[in-house]
Amino acid sequence: MNTDTVLSLKNVSKKIKGRPIINDISFEVKKGQIYGFLGPNGAGKTMTLRMIVGLIRPTSGTVEICGHNTRKDFVRAMSNVGCIIENPELYEYLSGSDNLELLRKMEPDISASRIDEVVELVGLSHRIHDKVGTYSLGMKQRLGIAQALMKKPELLILDEPTNGLDPAGIKEFRSLVKSLSKEQGMTIFVSSHLLSEIQMICDEVAIILHGRIIKTSKVEALSAGQKITWNVTNVAKAIKLLADDFGVEAVKDTEETLSAFTDDFRIMEINSAMMSSDIGIKYVSRQQKSLEDLFMELTGGETIG
Amino acid sequence: MVKLIENEILKTFYKKRIHVIAGILLVLIALFAYGEHYTLTRTQDRVAEQLGIENAEDWKNIIGQQLQDLERRLDNPYIPDEGKASIQVRAEQLRFYLDNDVSPIGSTAARFMGQFIEQSIFLFLPLLIILLAGDMVSGEVNSGTVKLILTRPVKRWKILMAKLLALSMLEMFVIFMMALFSFAIAMVVFGYSGFNEPVITGFRVFEGQLDTSAVRTIPQWQYLMMTYAIGYFVAFVIGSLSLMVSVLVRSTSASIGIMMSTLIGGSFLSFFISDWKLTRYLFTVNLNLTSYISGSFQIVEGLSMTFSTLVLLGWSFGAIGIAFLVFTQKDILA
Ligand SMILES: Nc1ncnc2c1ncn2[C@@H]1O[C@H](COP(=O)(O)OP(=O)(O)OP(=O)(O)O)[C@@H](O)[C@H]1O
Ligand SMILES: [Mg+2]
Repeated sequence: MNTDTVLSLKNVSKKIKGRPIINDISFEVKKGQIYGFLGPNGAGKTMTLRMIVGLIRPTSGTVEICGHNTRKDFVRAMSNVGCIIENPELYEYLSGSDNLELLRKMEPDISASRIDEVVELVGLSHRIHDKVGTYSLGMKQRLGIAQALMKKPELLILDEPTNGLDPAGIKEFRSLVKSLSKEQGMTIFVSSHLLSEIQMICDEVAIILHGRIIKTSKVEALSAGQKITWNVTNVAKAIKLLADDFGVEAVKDTEETLSAFTDDFRIMEINSAMMSSDIGIKYVSRQQKSLEDLFMELTGGETIG
Repeated sequence: MVKLIENEILKTFYKKRIHVIAGILLVLIALFAYGEHYTLTRTQDRVAEQLGIENAEDWKNIIGQQLQDLERRLDNPYIPDEGKASIQVRAEQLRFYLDNDVSPIGSTAARFMGQFIEQSIFLFLPLLIILLAGDMVSGEVNSGTVKLILTRPVKRWKILMAKLLALSMLEMFVIFMMALFSFAIAMVVFGYSGFNEPVITGFRVFEGQLDTSAVRTIPQWQYLMMTYAIGYFVAFVIGSLSLMVSVLVRSTSASIGIMMSTLIGGSFLSFFISDWKLTRYLFTVNLNLTSYISGSFQIVEGLSMTFSTLVLLGWSFGAIGIAFLVFTQKDILA
């Protein structure tokens, strides 16, 4: 196995009470990457993350973290991982610093001064001695991140980390993730149901739908496509032209409009081709692609729900 | 491992579970002591009235007479040796009362401590332990923090082991509090410690009869050590069972509820114990271990200190086994 693979899933499946939840998932995350895990609600993101960190056992397949199988060598695999699964979990009846201290004692070697460092990093110094029960959601989120970062993990796993953060908090979070990756070379695996969020911070992405990975790709490759809508005089002819001459699959939206996913530089070519084929163009518009559009594109029309 | 145990103990203290238990203990012991004091005064008055003496301080004469009577019977050649053994023991006890000027009708801190554990071992003590152990695992599942501890680089069995060991230490602490509080309160109420007073023990059952040939006296402090050690054993057994239930169910209230109803419901079944053989293998009917050494037990064929101890050990090991098996295998979905 490649030495700079930090996380690898091979043919992982999970059934719960006979119902398949995750089907034959495989992907690899390389050292230093910010890897996105994108999917709509109920797609199986959290379930997959639970399997990665050993909270549930895959029905079949293997998970390896830094080369250690999580089933056979749980301790060594997990000593490389910091994670937040679903929500930050905290002892409400303990203070923030006691929460961190408790976890410090469960790890092999974290120095006491490291606690002050991470508290400083997430900006909780002023409330760290208060009971967690009195924290706001955003503060709990920050403490959760401190818990995950405390051991300077090789691999940081975050499940929808911006849930419950305000816009300023989200912005701050993004820059934290980027700096962790750039300055400490940390590998980060982050799940989200927001395409824009993944586009903003990730290098590479795996897209999951109904428990299956439907695409893994570089993020640039994803954002290359935009949704273009043409309002034309002859929709049927335009669709045929796009398919025959450009290999682009277009969809008829209304009697007068069609839309397709394509790159900026091809729009002009397409426009002039249409005009030379006697298709009148009233207007052309461009939209940032939403997650729904992406799924349309990837699954050829299958809806998310 | 030491650090893991430390964590578990810390959590229990911060959750204020121990505080609640200490509070309940204090209130109950105070009430028990008051009740004991109240009945004693009544009894002393009644005894004095029946015997036609001015006040209960005249107990010395009565005990003196009883002692003489026992000594005469010891000289009687028609009483078999086995019978003499128990007479001797009784005489020895009476002699202590006279020599040390301790009234057998009154109470002492030591007697009170003994009575308290004897009375609480089959219900009250188990209830406290259920309160302590019932949320050790389910509490963390409830609050989600189980995800936190199970994603550390520590094997699952070690985490449960730390909980079990922490629990056994906390149980010891509860027993210690019980002894300390009942001693302190009884000293205030009765004013005399009486740790050297002889207590009769060594009862056995032989062929369905109470066999008193092995009875002897031991000093109170020794008797108390034995009863409180037995108390700890019972606490450990109940603790293991609660821990298992706590692993099996998700919510703390369900876990505590299940254990409490099993305990109370199960103790009703002791009504059937002499006829329905199966009931004697229930843990609930075997909890009253101290009765075997105080001689206050109900004679049931086949039931003995050894039998009850083995039954309880069986339940305890079974529960611990199941708890470990389930905890190390289960999927954490919540
Ligand atoms: N305890 C459970 N028992 C059975 N099925 C479950 C359980 N929890 C979740 N599921 C199912 O597993 C599937 C995946 O759920 P999962 O929580 O992984 O979704 P997700 O991608 O994290 O969604 P979200 O964006 O809403 O967090 C869903 O279809 C859900 O119904
Ligand atoms: Mg989720």
